[in-house]
Parts: sequence; C-alpha cells; structure tokens
Amino acid sequence: MTPTSNKGVLGHFCEPADALAAAAKVRDAGWKHFDFLTPFPIHGMEEAMGQKRSWIPWVTLVLALCGILFAQGLQNYVMVFDWPMNFGGKPHAAWPSYIPITFEAMVFWAALGSALVAIVAGKIDTIPQPPPMLVKTGATVDRFVLWISATDPKWNAAEAEAFVKSLGAHGVRLVDVKEEADA
Amino acid sequence: MTRHEASPYATVMDDSQLTGRPIVLAGAGPYGGDLEIPEPLVTGGKKWSDVDRDICMHAEQFPTKKWWIAFAVALTFLGLLVFSLIFLLYAGMGIVGINHPVGWGSFIINFVFWIGIGHAGTLISAVLFLFRQQWRTGINRAAEAMTLFAVACAGIFPVIHLGRAWFAYWLVPYPNARGPLWINFNSPLAWDIFAISTYGLVSLAFWYVGLLPDLATVRDRATHPWRKSLYNAMSFGWNGSHRAWRHYESAYMILAGLATPLVFSVHTIVSFDFATSVMPGWHTTIFPPYFVIGAIFSGFAMVITLMTFMRGYFGMKNYVTLNHMESMAKILMLTGMLVGFAYSTEFFMAWYSGSEWEGFIFKNRAFGPYSWAYAIMFTCNAIVPQIFWWKKMRRHTWVLFVVSILVNVGMWFERYVIVVTSLHRDYLPSSWGMYSLTRWDFAILLGSFGLFFTLFLLFVRFLPVVAISEVKGVMDPKVARSAPTDALPANAAVAAHQEA
Repeated sequence: MTPTSNKGVLGHFCEPADALAAAAKVRDAGWKHFDFLTPFPIHGMEEAMGQKRSWIPWVTLVLALCGILFAQGLQNYVMVFDWPMNFGGKPHAAWPSYIPITFEAMVFWAALGSALVAIVAGKIDTIPQPPPMLVKTGATVDRFVLWISATDPKWNAAEAEAFVKSLGAHGVRLVDVKEEADA
Repeated sequence: MTRHEASPYATVMDDSQLTGRPIVLAGAGPYGGDLEIPEPLVTGGKKWSDVDRDICMHAEQFPTKKWWIAFAVALTFLGLLVFSLIFLLYAGMGIVGINHPVGWGSFIINFVFWIGIGHAGTLISAVLFLFRQQWRTGINRAAEAMTLFAVACAGIFPVIHLGRAWFAYWLVPYPNARGPLWINFNSPLAWDIFAISTYGLVSLAFWYVGLLPDLATVRDRATHPWRKSLYNAMSFGWNGSHRAWRHYESAYMILAGLATPLVFSVHTIVSFDFATSVMPGWHTTIFPPYFVIGAIFSGFAMVITLMTFMRGYFGMKNYVTLNHMESMAKILMLTGMLVGFAYSTEFFMAWYSGSEWEGFIFKNRAFGPYSWAYAIMFTCNAIVPQIFWWKKMRRHTWVLFVVSILVNVGMWFERYVIVVTSLHRDYLPSSWGMYSLTRWDFAILLGSFGLFFTLFLLFVRFLPVVAISEVKGVMDPKVARSAPTDALPANAAVAAHQEA
C-alpha cells in the first residue's frame, strides 16, 4: 500500500533537536519527497517539514455526525415508528432518554473510525518510503533518519548526497537497491 | 541550564536517589536565580537503546519460573471460573445467593467492581495525556491493558445475571423474527450495553494505536522470520515515518479527547442502573459523580497493585519509579477523600430531604444488619488512604501495596453495601430479608480474578509492557542518545543483502 522508492539518500542524526534543525533546512532547500523516520514523534516536526496540520479531525467530525445520525435514527425508528409502546404514558419520542446511546454511538464511530483512518492515512498520504530493510533497525531505536527519495522533482544524486552531508548527518549513503542487487 | 551542559539526569541511578522534589540548580535560572527541574522519569542513566532491551526482554526470552508459578495459579482460578460458569448454566440461578427480596447480588456487585477497576486505565492514558502529565508514560500501557482485561471480566457478569445467558443476544437491537421485538431504549440497562461495548472497543483501539510503534520495535529486534513477519503485520508495517506520525499523533489526541468524556459517561450510565430506580438509597442524583470517582479510586489502587509486581518481578524500577508511585498515591488519597465526601453527602441528603424511606435506609446501612460491611467500606476507602498525607508512606512500597489491596476490598464492599442494603429492606416489612453469598458466588468472584491475572500475565509475556516510544520521548536526549556511527546499525536482512 505504501509507495516505496528504491533510490534515494539516507542519513541519520542522533538527537531530535538536530533532526528538527535539519528538517527546516531540507524544507527551505525546496525538497518535497523527504521524510524523517524516528523512534518517537518530535515536537514541532510538522512545521519544520513544512507539513500542514493533519486532516484526521475532519474525519472524526464526519464520523461523529454519522454516529449521532445512526443512533438517533435507530432509536426514533424503533420507539416511534416501528413498534411504539406506552411506558407510563410518556411520549414515544422521549429524546432525553436517547441521549446516552447517541453519545456512545458518536464516540464509537468517531474513535474507531479515526484510529482506522489514521493508520491507513499513514500508509497512503505519504511520499515514497525507503526500502524497509535499510532503515528498520535504527529508526525504531535511537536514530532520527533522514530520507530523500529519488522521486523528488529536483533529484540529482550527487547534489542530494552533498546536501545531506552538509546538514551534518551521519552515515550518509546513496541507496540504489536494484544496482546493489545487480552488483 | 542550557542544552549543552551536562544533565543532572545522568547521575540519578535508582529510586534511592529520587526525592520526589525538583532538582535545584543554584544560579542557573533566568536573571541568575535558581532553576528547578523535575526529577527524571527514567532513572539509571538509560539510553534509548537500553529501553528497547529492558522492556522487550520479557517478551523475547523464555518466561521465568516466577512467571510460570503466577501463571499456574491464575490459570487454576480461571479453571474455577469456567467450571463454575458451566455448572451455573447447568444447574440454574438457584445455586447462587440471590433470591427475594435481594434480586441483585454478587454478579451486579462484581460487574460494577470490575468496570470500576477498568476506569483508571483510560484515565491514565487519556485524561493524564490531555493534562500533559508526563509520568503517565511509564504506566499507561499496563494500565490500559488492565482496563481491557477488567472490562472482559465485567462483561461476564451482566450476561450470567440474565439467568438465561444463552439469550444474551436479545440485548442487541437487531431486526428479528419476533415482531421485530426491539429493546427498550428508555432503559438504562439498554444504555449499559452500548456504554460497555463502546468502552471496551474504544479502549482496545486506544491501546492498540499506542502499541503500534512498539510492535515495530519488537519486530526490528526479532530474529526469527515468523516472529518478524507476525509483529510486522501487527504493527501494519510501521517504520517511524514522520508523515505517518503526523496522522498518528492527531488520531491519538482525538482518541484521548473522546475517551475522556467516554470514561465519565460509562460509570455514569452504570450508576443510572441504580439511580433511575425508585429504591431508597439508589434514587439519588449524587450517584453519577460518586460512581465515577469511586471507579477511578479503585482503578488506581489496582494499578498500584500491578505496578508493585512489575517493579518487583519484571525489573521495571527504572521506568516506574517511586515518583510514579507517589503520584498515584496522591491521586488515591484525593479520590479516597472524594469518596468519603460522597458517603457523608449521602447521609446529609437523607436527613435534609426529609424522606422517611431515605432516612431509614441510611440508618440501616450504617447501623443495621450490614453495618459490618459498611464499616469495612468506610474504613478501607475513606480512612486508610489518609496515611498518604505522609510523604514517607507515599514512597513506601509495602505501605502502597497493602493500601492498594485494602482499597479494592473496600470498593468491593462499597458495591456490596449499595446493592444489598437498599434491597434487603423494602418498603414493606413483609419484603424484608437477608442476603449472603454461596460458595458459587465466591467461586465466580475468585474465578474472575483468575481470568484477569491470566490475561495480564499473557500480556506481559507477549507485548511490551511499557510504552517504549512514549518513554523515549520524555527522556533527556543528552543522556539517551548514542554515539554516531557511519552506518545505521544493520539488521540481519541488511547484512545478508550486503554480503550477497
């Protein structure tokens, strides 16, 4: 599901502050297809990478409204139209007693839906990722890995490598999985 | 203190060096004043890579003898539960203590008890997250797991309380061939179905979302290919990309925001089961806040109990420090006082309302035939936690452990007092009676602890018990970083690839 790119440049930083400073420079240099792979989220990284705020809250809003509509629809359909019953002469459309289930349904739809959409969004709304086997270990332990994909419009291998080196990244290397396999 | 000076965190090695007070750096603050920085949340001068090892270790090695002993005991009690439930279904409700006039007995007590325990997990993960309480990172994973398992235990009881448990699916509104005959949406018992199932599933989602990056960590440490692909699938191929973190963090915040009112709503709805009835002692507006605060109280007590074991037996003392325990003790004392305040308010309202029935029920609660249960409840919940006014007691492992057990005993008796005393003296003396638990009631109660601890022990065996990525985020980078290397630490796949 996630797009991957076999070509690109990798480098890593040892501290979140360094990664944050580097991210702003990569953004300002005009790179688009770059990413930071980190063991934990870094505060301020969105801005440093030039990303907009996540659109997940809108999904939550829509799903919450769906949950409210579903619960209200079900309860009113059952209690008013399908089989109205007389409980102590109270009105059929007893809206105050529909509120608890409406609230629960809202939370149910909004929470589960947002979680699911966020997981999928992390896979789809992204840039071509590095080949998994190359970065897995460091990026979930203690390295803050910078990846610039060769799919970037301004890609130039030599320039990209020199640029990442100039940021002070460690272990800078050009990645070309296909060529390595051929060699 | 500027970022580049040596961190005082590196020197705090264990609990004995923690004081629970901020570290004061004389003259380091603005305008030459003192700078107070909080004590580290992780002790032992740990590096980020140490965190992975320390926490994943338990899921990676063959379990210890202690684990097997604990698991055997838990499994025995789980067996007792299964056996009792089968016998209950075979023999019918006659084997348990409920009868006229006390028609709600240990099953309802246990249900409220377990749901209450569950509440602290969500409170720690959601409410403390929104309040930016960073100490939650050490305990939230285990507390959320505790929530799930407590809800699993709680879920059994309303179903068996139905008497004909095999018709439990009638509780769900679905088009059926009986009319369709729907459930009554005006009933708090129907609200309960929605509240508990929503709570269980949202807690599961919250827990699992929190677990994703850590499952990726376990995957990257795995050596066996099957294990690797299993954990890879479970983490949805998480690679730590910040483009994924962006949505992840947003969703996590939203889940916290939704779980916060949810946790309050669930026990509120549980209290509606009582409060919407016309029984004296139940029909009170104080019930929702009273139940919610009692739930948080009992849940934190259970977290303290479990954390004592995790600190002692799983070597988590560097991640769940005495400072964490002290924070929980403070919450326990606060909620204990709120619970005590609710007990007193109930008495005041019984008198102030001028209702004869209400007045009688409360006199009967405290001085009637069940005064012993009331005494246990009041002592354990309102008086015992007062010991935490002393800092020394808040930081004493054994005191914490014993108090946490006593609080849960007290909270079980709180539900006993609420359920039984209101029912055993009905409006008419002809409807008066006494209630006692039979051996089957006890077997099912003990058995539910078996289920709880079996699930918890499996959890500590297979999953990271501390939220690794969150703990890493609250560590001091100057201490936790590792030295730069020319290449990324290679995993097996890369090494094989490069050799080829």
